[in-house]
Amino acid sequence: MKVDPTLPDRLARTGGFNASACINCGSCTALCPLGMGPFPRQLFRYVLLGAREEVVRHTEEIYSCLLCKMCEDNCPAGVHIAENVRTLRTFLGREELGLATSEV
Amino acid sequence: MTEEQAPNPPDPPTPERRRVGVFICQCGGNISDYVDTEKVRETLERDPTVAHAEVQMFACSDAGQGAIVKAIREKKLDGIVVASCSPKLHTLTFRGAARRAGLNPYEYTQANVREQDSWAHTHDREGATTKAVAIARAALAHTARSRPLEPIRTETAPAALVVGAGVAGLRAAVGLSDLGVSVHVVERAEQAGGQLARWDRIFPNDRSGKEIVRGLLEEVAKRDNIVLFTGAELVSKEGHLGDFTVSVRTRTGEVIPLKVGAIVVATGYEPYRPAKGELGYGLEGVITLPEYEELLGNGTGPLEYHGRPVQTVTYVYCVGSRDGSGGEGSHTYCSRYCCSATSFAAIRTSGRGTPVHQYHLFRDVRTYGKYESLYERALASGSVFLRYRDDAPPKVALEGGRLVVRLSDTLSGGAEVEIPTDLVVLVVGMVPRENAALTGVLKLPIGREGFFNEIHQKLRPVETVVDGVFLAGTAQGPKNVAESVASALSSVSKTAGILLKGYVDLDPLVAKVDASACTWCGACAEACPYGAIEEVVEGEKHIARVVPVSCKGEGACVPVCTAQAIEVEGYTHDQVLAMIDALAAEE
Repeated sequence: MKVDPTLPDRLARTGGFNASACINCGSCTALCPLGMGPFPRQLFRYVLLGAREEVVRHTEEIYSCLLCKMCEDNCPAGVHIAENVRTLRTFLGREELGLATSEV
Repeated sequence: MTEEQAPNPPDPPTPERRRVGVFICQCGGNISDYVDTEKVRETLERDPTVAHAEVQMFACSDAGQGAIVKAIREKKLDGIVVASCSPKLHTLTFRGAARRAGLNPYEYTQANVREQDSWAHTHDREGATTKAVAIARAALAHTARSRPLEPIRTETAPAALVVGAGVAGLRAAVGLSDLGVSVHVVERAEQAGGQLARWDRIFPNDRSGKEIVRGLLEEVAKRDNIVLFTGAELVSKEGHLGDFTVSVRTRTGEVIPLKVGAIVVATGYEPYRPAKGELGYGLEGVITLPEYEELLGNGTGPLEYHGRPVQTVTYVYCVGSRDGSGGEGSHTYCSRYCCSATSFAAIRTSGRGTPVHQYHLFRDVRTYGKYESLYERALASGSVFLRYRDDAPPKVALEGGRLVVRLSDTLSGGAEVEIPTDLVVLVVGMVPRENAALTGVLKLPIGREGFFNEIHQKLRPVETVVDGVFLAGTAQGPKNVAESVASALSSVSKTAGILLKGYVDLDPLVAKVDASACTWCGACAEACPYGAIEEVVEGEKHIARVVPVSCKGEGACVPVCTAQAIEVEGYTHDQVLAMIDALAAEE
């Protein structure tokens, strides 16, 4: 996959996405009650690298998230995981699913 | 120079009439789990020269040493044996205990029944016990033939030579000067300052390398007891700790002799130079970290390279470091400064007006100690870190006029990632300088990686096996600036500690010549690697004479002497033969 810095830039600028503090420990994925493959650690990496097609491929996981914040409560780097998931939902809704949402 | 040879002490009692104390250490089970220490004690106690024998849990502990001191005093012992670990560990410990009890420290022998016995024979208690008895008996035979010795005292000159005028050398020179030691600094390059003078900004407190060097040179200029030679080289060294004569060839070709008491070697490092084609080196836009630092130093506005704006920078870490291939000249070590320096470069890059996207291709981030915050700041300023495996380095190519880096990112499940980029910065490590001539002059040992070796990595970190020659900075191995300065000041304190005292006491375990037996054939002088033996005329006779301060007691002279006229104190023929007999004796 090809890196694309415009995606994380845009999500950060307009949606407040921020996973730069992530240290890739994987606590979030291990704690997730839904146990969904790459979610959320690896998904955030796809965003950081700008791998848009990978993000889109995981739309199902992004919408399945319970926003329970188990991951966020236990994140040693203090990443606002639930907020980031909301930002991704807004982005997918507008750009991929054709839903009328506010500008992202 | 004055040399005070130990006055000849009265003849010690014959071995049979000695009163030796034997202490058998259990080493908390390290020895006693495999050796019957009580049996060793009983057996040794029966020897007529033994006046006291006891088993100890830890002979080196305060309690153990206290018991040794007590036994020496109460039983009027005239020699001791401690059967314990390697003499490399505790010779000085037990010499100290002997001294505190009023016994001459050289009346002590350490018998190694741990490394050479219990640890080697964990399957055979009986055999290990028999061997421990033999080793302890040999040590007993040695002590029974020892005699009291006094250290060799030599005067020291209050001047030092510093080789290399980088940050370590200059800081060492200023430090020595402040303590009242005159300093000569010899720098091979035309300009002082070393690698640091090329560096734009230095972590952690954002100072300019050039400014740090300028500040040190101003300090040097203020002091009239520092002489700085640039474009000069050290060409010869004679003498010994406290009294070296060194020759310096100056820029004009003149050779100047200097008297110094000690030498500080601060010859620094070189940045690793990638081979052409290594990670794209040689392609337009592929540069090393020091080259990138120069680029960062040229201005404060939006970053440009060869007139083109830079929007993406890709760093490749561990270039010329941590090379596990083990091939000839491979650099297997970590260069220490580079993770922190690159994180710091990324932080400064992100502050250059226009946004720059930065990708860090690392193997392991080692922003150790206080520098972890640099990594966190680099992350917070938008740097993305991707991890490659050492057996799958990134590939750099030029495609349609654009640099492209490809790697398998282990943090993305091994996904193949492609990064189009404007600059590729190869984060190069530190490699040793080419110093063959200097190494020859100083006779300094070099480690496997090509850096100068200290005596002990932890406890004697700036001393070398050549007495009076100390190490400072990266000549010893990779260090950041703070660590270089710390080691420079460490060598200052070691150097000044010796020179300001005015004299040094050297180990008296040196060679001595039996003038009546010597016929001066010169074989010993030829065998001596330290040039410690000279020909002298005594009456009508030409004989060999040992210069005690130069002798290391290494013994190369002993076996080549056909007249058996030379031996080493502490390892006399008498002692060595008695030890062999003791080792070979049947139960």
